[in-house]
Amino acid sequence: MIAAAPAVAAPPELRARLADLYAAYDDALAEGDYERWPEFFTAACLYKIIPRESHELGHPIGLMHAESRGMLADRVAAIRKTTLYAPRIVRRLVSGIVLQAIEPHGMRLSASFATFQTLLNEPSQVFLCGRLYDRIVDDGGIFRFAERICVTDSTLVPTSLIFPI
Amino acid sequence: MADGGAGLTARRWPAGGAARVPNWVYTDPDVFAREQERIFQGPNWLYVCLEAEIPRPGDFTRSRLGTREVVAVRGSDGQVHVLVNSCAHRSMQFCSANRGSVKEFTCPYHQWTYDLEGKLIGVPFRRGLRGNGGMPADFRIEEHGLTPLAVAARHGVVFASFAQPNETLEAYLGPLMLSYFDRVFDGRELKVLGYQRQRLPSNWKLMFENIKDPYHASLLHVFLVTFGLFRMDQQSAVEMDETGRHGVLVNRRGEQKANEATAQMRAFRQDLTLADPRLIDPVREFPGDATVVMQTLWPNLIVQQQSNGLAMRQIVPLDAESFDLVWTHFGYADEPPAMTERRIRQANLFGPGGFVSADDGEAMILSQAGIAGNSDGECLVEMGGRDVANTPHTVTETAIRGFYQHYRAVMGL
Repeated sequence: MIAAAPAVAAPPELRARLADLYAAYDDALAEGDYERWPEFFTAACLYKIIPRESHELGHPIGLMHAESRGMLADRVAAIRKTTLYAPRIVRRLVSGIVLQAIEPHGMRLSASFATFQTLLNEPSQVFLCGRLYDRIVDDGGIFRFAERICVTDSTLVPTSLIFPI
Repeated sequence: MADGGAGLTARRWPAGGAARVPNWVYTDPDVFAREQERIFQGPNWLYVCLEAEIPRPGDFTRSRLGTREVVAVRGSDGQVHVLVNSCAHRSMQFCSANRGSVKEFTCPYHQWTYDLEGKLIGVPFRRGLRGNGGMPADFRIEEHGLTPLAVAARHGVVFASFAQPNETLEAYLGPLMLSYFDRVFDGRELKVLGYQRQRLPSNWKLMFENIKDPYHASLLHVFLVTFGLFRMDQQSAVEMDETGRHGVLVNRRGEQKANEATAQMRAFRQDLTLADPRLIDPVREFPGDATVVMQTLWPNLIVQQQSNGLAMRQIVPLDAESFDLVWTHFGYADEPPAMTERRIRQANLFGPGGFVSADDGEAMILSQAGIAGNSDGECLVEMGGRDVANTPHTVTETAIRGFYQHYRAVMGL
């Protein structure tokens, strides 16, 4: 279940729908089913992974940047077809999802995330962790992310960032 | 000299000159120690930061030159000063913020205070308390400032050196490299668009070699090859300064069209299209034909101009088998918003998560793994011949040979 900030009126069915969206997104990435990933976003959207340092400085360039479902699909195509990378599993855990506000242009939610990277024959290690800042809209009856900003606590990426968060 | 000398006397560079690189240069801690002393602390101009990061007096930013950390600060005189980040008292790192603005620096431990030029201006209880203690009578405050580096700046880019180089920055770069440098840094004010840092378990020299190696670019990088961003069948060149230590890879954008060269490139994908073509939608913005100039400046800087993607890539060696790569993406202060948007989208090609650069990071990790498991082996660098010469094509590893020609002379190896 999704928690709501004190001033936010969030009926149980709304919380359940949001919880289903987060769970489905987590499930797609957990299974490495990246083809499903762009569908969780609106056609025009903003997806960013950005270090907190840059985020606070207001810098526009982070680690990943997409302004459309198409750009997300291009990222998936790169993972599948073009990028050289050593075999790895990146596990992500999301917790403390809070519905912060319901605004005319969407619902604002935040959460914490941690990712763990396991390279072949190596122990699992903490990879990146940080906060998710989301804006979710009702897109023709389906809840989708209009915005997902993944703010990483560390600026330093150990090795390479291959998969989305 | 404590420059890893003892362990290195038995080392012999293999026959074949700069066309062979022994694997121990990527793994031996004694080599690393000598590199720090002779290259990173030697008479070379090392990249520190952009002036745009510290525009006003008192603005500072930290930077790492090899294994040493410095603070670059704009003094009250408007000049940039580069100071070792270590208090003159107990060597404590007195500055722990990445950037900020101050009137003076105060070490948190015993509150020794320095002005923006690094001069010591305050020592608490210097004259003791009620006749007790205090610094000795012959303690001279002017003798205990922070350690300053020699500084040179050109068109908004700050360089520094631990040992005063016997040549100006301009002479150090040489006329040819300077002309490429001034192509991007033409005096316009810069603005920072983002930072990225990446830690790679790989020797720092492999990063340099990667950007001196146009051979791999046409084979490894699907994005560069397919979309014609860098490909050896396009008009291109490899050029160096007279010593071979600096270099550029130059390329002119081509089309996504099959030909006899792309037939040898498995990375060429005639059928690959972008779902959102705005991702790679470059426009010409610099004079001349070249659409890519990747410049490597000895010993710690790569200046990236790939289409509209501009970045400083600073190489920070940590030990023989790891380094940090610090990316500073930038544009020009007065550019139209549409150009900045282009740079933001094209930045997807670069950095730890870049469509192109992630390939390189992973390739360097795998290179180091192969080298570490074969430390008696050597690398072969013969594409395009065995000599060191500028070429009007990129079917060559000549710039890697140029690098090692200079490296051997400096390192005495």
